[in-house]
Amino acid sequence: MKKNVTALQKGLNTGITLGVVMVFLSLTAFTVVLANIIGDSYRPTPVTYGFVIALFGFFGGLMASSKRGLPNDDWKNVLTSSAAAGLIGGVILAVPLAVLGSIHLNGTDLRNYLVMVSPDVMETYLFGIGLLPAILITVIIFAAGAILGGAFNKGAARAEWRARWMANSQEKIRSAWQAPRVQQVVAGRYSKLFFMVGALLLLFLMPFVWGSYWNYVMGTVGLYILLGLGMNIIVGLSGQLVLGYVAFFAIGAYAMGLLSSPEPLGIQLGFWPALLASILVAALTGILLGLPILNLRGDYLAIVTLGFGEIIRILIKSDSLTWFTGGPKGLRAIAQPAIFGLKFNSDVNFMHLILVGVLVGVFIAYRLQYSRTGRAWLSVQGDQTVSRATGVNTYQYKILALALGAAFAGIGGAIFASRNQFTGPEDHVLMVSINVLCLVIVGGMGSLPGVILGSFVLKGIPELLRDLTDYRLLVFGVLLVVMMIVRPEGLWPTRRPKLEKQHLSKYDPDNDEASSEEVSA
Amino acid sequence: METLKKLVPSDLNASKWVRMILGILVLALLVWRLVDVILIQRLYGPDTWARFAITGLIIGGMYALIAIGYTLVYGILLMINFAHGEVMMLGSFAGYFVFELLAFIPSPGPENPEQVLLNAFPVLSILVAFLVGMLVSALAGYFLEKIAYRPLRKAPRLVPLISAIGASIFLQNAAMLLFGPQRRTYLNPTLLDRGLGLEIPIAGNNVLVPYTGIFSFVLSILLMLGLYLLVQKTKLGRSMRAVAEDKGAAALMGINVDAVISRTFIISGILAGAAGVMWGVHNGLLNHYVGYIPGMKAFTAAVMGGIGNIPGAMLGGMTLGILESLGPAMLGIDFQLKDVIAFTILILVLIFRPSGLLGERLSEEKV
Amino acid sequence: MKKLSVLLVIVMLATALAACGSKVPEACESDPLGCAVIEKGETVKIGMAGPMLGDYAMFGKDISQGAMVAIDEVNAAGGLEGFNFELIAEDTGGSPEQGAAVASKFVTDETMVAIAGHIFSGESEAAMPIYEDAGFPMMSPSATNPPLTQMGSTVFNRLAFTDAVQAKFAAEMLKNDLGVSKLALVHDGSAYGQGLADEVQANFESMGGEVVAYEAVTPGEADYSATLAAIAAAGPEAVYYGGYAAEAIVMANQWAQAGLTGVTLFGCDGTFGVEFTQKTGANGIGSIAASLVPPDSDEKTAFDTAYQTKFGLAAGELSAFTWSAYDTAYTLMNAAMSVAFVDGDTLYIPRSAMVAAVRGTNYNGLTGAVVCDATGECNASGPSFYEVVSDGAGGSTWIPFTK
Repeated sequence: MKKNVTALQKGLNTGITLGVVMVFLSLTAFTVVLANIIGDSYRPTPVTYGFVIALFGFFGGLMASSKRGLPNDDWKNVLTSSAAAGLIGGVILAVPLAVLGSIHLNGTDLRNYLVMVSPDVMETYLFGIGLLPAILITVIIFAAGAILGGAFNKGAARAEWRARWMANSQEKIRSAWQAPRVQQVVAGRYSKLFFMVGALLLLFLMPFVWGSYWNYVMGTVGLYILLGLGMNIIVGLSGQLVLGYVAFFAIGAYAMGLLSSPEPLGIQLGFWPALLASILVAALTGILLGLPILNLRGDYLAIVTLGFGEIIRILIKSDSLTWFTGGPKGLRAIAQPAIFGLKFNSDVNFMHLILVGVLVGVFIAYRLQYSRTGRAWLSVQGDQTVSRATGVNTYQYKILALALGAAFAGIGGAIFASRNQFTGPEDHVLMVSINVLCLVIVGGMGSLPGVILGSFVLKGIPELLRDLTDYRLLVFGVLLVVMMIVRPEGLWPTRRPKLEKQHLSKYDPDNDEASSEEVSA
Repeated sequence: METLKKLVPSDLNASKWVRMILGILVLALLVWRLVDVILIQRLYGPDTWARFAITGLIIGGMYALIAIGYTLVYGILLMINFAHGEVMMLGSFAGYFVFELLAFIPSPGPENPEQVLLNAFPVLSILVAFLVGMLVSALAGYFLEKIAYRPLRKAPRLVPLISAIGASIFLQNAAMLLFGPQRRTYLNPTLLDRGLGLEIPIAGNNVLVPYTGIFSFVLSILLMLGLYLLVQKTKLGRSMRAVAEDKGAAALMGINVDAVISRTFIISGILAGAAGVMWGVHNGLLNHYVGYIPGMKAFTAAVMGGIGNIPGAMLGGMTLGILESLGPAMLGIDFQLKDVIAFTILILVLIFRPSGLLGERLSEEKV
Repeated sequence: MKKLSVLLVIVMLATALAACGSKVPEACESDPLGCAVIEKGETVKIGMAGPMLGDYAMFGKDISQGAMVAIDEVNAAGGLEGFNFELIAEDTGGSPEQGAAVASKFVTDETMVAIAGHIFSGESEAAMPIYEDAGFPMMSPSATNPPLTQMGSTVFNRLAFTDAVQAKFAAEMLKNDLGVSKLALVHDGSAYGQGLADEVQANFESMGGEVVAYEAVTPGEADYSATLAAIAAAGPEAVYYGGYAAEAIVMANQWAQAGLTGVTLFGCDGTFGVEFTQKTGANGIGSIAASLVPPDSDEKTAFDTAYQTKFGLAAGELSAFTWSAYDTAYTLMNAAMSVAFVDGDTLYIPRSAMVAAVRGTNYNGLTGAVVCDATGECNASGPSFYEVVSDGAGGSTWIPFTK
């Protein structure tokens, strides 16, 4: 908001945006779903639906009366802006209501074209009364909500007592944290150890408590952490954009499957030798793939690896290789791990196996990242020419990164196949690569805690959103965009690049943009 | 690490031998298969070859149109607009609804009282459908940039990619919630009925060239020509090229960079919208997922031609379309593996020409 | 930290005590898998898992909608001893991974008694061991991969006929009734399509026929004319297609362009449905497909009307499995009714008995008799064949095939 706008203009802008969003939500019947959630029933009532409209109006009023962009926030401006937002939003919402409402009242079923708008939904939108009164009521409720929102924003949210209360409570928390006894415990000699043991114990106990569903979901999150650790080495550290990561995952899963399943090859090694083989085969593929293509840069590398991933998937499901890979039917009865003849195959056991894998993986990744190798990767990411000039063999380091990343994917794939006792071509689609790339970037490139957090976001949130049923992925897509806009550097960014940036910008004010472009290349 | 050092050639240039061996092997395989299929086995007659070529050209034209959208945006923002396929999908839906609406309105003429507007004015109907489709896609592109990409202008380069993926997921599911999971079928005017076409006798057989195919191909060529003129001859085109070359310098020369970027998204949306309606008219089926595969393919085509390069995208699209339909036949393998062939050729092209077929304009530092 | 662990232990102990303390009816204690317990005011849940979002969403939507019609009918007739049934449909995207995740979620629900699904074979297979442990009977209207019933599962049943059965009928019909001697095969690269194509090939060749071409197409692409042109060059008399309607529609529309005019397109139960005739128009005339759905009956008409009013589109427009879904839901609800008992205010359904009841079902539905054999194949009647003829108004329609 660079330009100075009047309160009226700001209100209109907010109202238009909100109105369009409301129209979309109404056409997808999301407003009705919200009304059901609020009313805790299967059918919306005029009251709950009206409440939803008012709620959105209220939200619009809050937005319209926010300080940003308003010339000043006296009562007149705030009320003008929120009232304008409410009225224009209501009118925009009323237009499709009028059109669709009259078609509906004609007796036409709208679901031929707009599947969610069933006659029942339409009746809700019309409050069960005629077209004209319904339009009036919609506009009035919406505008009233908006004015209320503006008034609330001015009256309550910005009141002095609230600010004082906030500052007070923050101060209290800080002083409690800094109290000598607390500090003593936190900084104490054994407290760190105690904390770690406690955390490990908790991790060990949780799988027994939270039931098979959460074991499954958390197991998947754990597998994605493993994949993310590998991808983080390739993208986050050495700076190579690889979109065909799923190929290594598939190779790991299929190596495990082919070596331990009774069909189609009938080799039936145990879990552990097959796991080792999966890692080796995946890493070897990484090296072989890297040899010819790693001199490509940026998006060319991305598309080549993407192509490689697709080639692997198509070959796996193709007719000509069905004798070897099992084709679209996939592999079944894949071996599960056993220690000293003791089979462990329950969900709890697998959760523990994955936990161990993740802990070991994080440890290895941590040691790598802060070793000479890790610094070499960072230099390759920063500027290849310079790092070559300083004696870093960029080609070798890039191949090493790809091989190690592939090895992580191999482990992930092998455990994945063994846990499901099944793997097929549909498990290895492009979305896997994209999810792993997303989790690395959402978490913060090059950051290990970021990888863990990113996995929870990418694989955990869609499960948490299951209550939204059909709207699950819609909301997930919006969250992804919003997350990137709010925190472009990731949820838990590394500290290092920031330090570098500050350091550089001291000497060269233009460098900010340049370095951000190169970091991601 | 030490063993790896011994295994891996130590210098970048030393990887040349890897490429050389690879190149010779591939070339030998290619020659052997070609000779085998065309001269020895004689699997297909000339009429079949003609059918392959026709299919390839039609589909290649559509790939090229979509690929240009990727390349325009990439040339200016250096980002892969992952949601471009969904922009095309929205245009496709818009065209569908126009046809449905026109087929709903009766147009009582003196001789045929039951005729609808769609068949009474077929040319006009098609024109309206394309205009509305292009308009919707252009708007989608514009708002996509404004909402999901503009706030990330200064962010690291992979961040807009993730935002684009989020937008793509959102648009797909939004379309599914609005229009339902069912496949819809384009209601063409009788002029462009699917299954009708020109019959050309080749080697004693009639080869059918569908009218929808001829129409799509001609239209995509016209649009590409138009775009080429726009970029080369107009002021907007000049400022687009300037922004692609150097944003900072362009801004200093008085070009409104944000406006140029917006217009680029609008242009790429227009082309995607046209491709979307074409896709519907020619292939018939339409659902919320319709943009995914063409989007993927067009992206591949754009990179093959050299991303950021407009003639490259056209060449890449056409090449990909033809490779897909002729490749498996020439090598005598299953058609299921046509994407394997396409991607293998892509990889080979990039191994030997690291910035695509025509992609020299872009310096290495920029990529 | 300490507090948290103490809390955890307390919670665990409390749950254990609660389990011991409450009064459990005799029939539930004797059942090795326990009971589904539905308190007053709760509903008896039937789970369904399949692709509800994404590329294959129409299958999930359609199958859940078909089942919903059945559930509404039963609820309107009083439900189960006053308890209503409810369908819980979860999205798996069709992937085995998420299929197992959803199954793990379902088995934690005390009020869920049976699973109408899963929809695809892969996800069904991944979910089977989880339901086996928990004693949730499954009945899939659409998972056709033959080995699913040969793995010794007690919980898995299906209404769809296996690829093997359908392929045998199809091959016989191609060879004997249509007199085809040179056949081409196409499938959609799915386990379902490939399974069918392979079985048809084996049967057809054992009857002395010749298979001249075998190709696969990629679903979601919209141009198969190159693949079809290659097939046409091999000179088949008929093309058998294993896969779903979407690809069959595209193929039928490109039939002439590929040079296949006069060659019969022979589809499977995934191809059949009004969608095919709606979207191919005159181009589809002459095609043949197999189907579970018997020729029109009064019950079928009643179902079609109910579906149309409830969901605003014709039954079969989304997929060919909606009638099977209706029968599946009825079978599962009948089984629940046969073993449930009320104790106090609470409804109990012993799980092992429920599993046995589904396997021992004997029900006459829209798709014919539903009687399960020892492995869980419940479709006792063979497929019916339909052909596409002109409807006299520029379009086309399915009619039962006559020689």
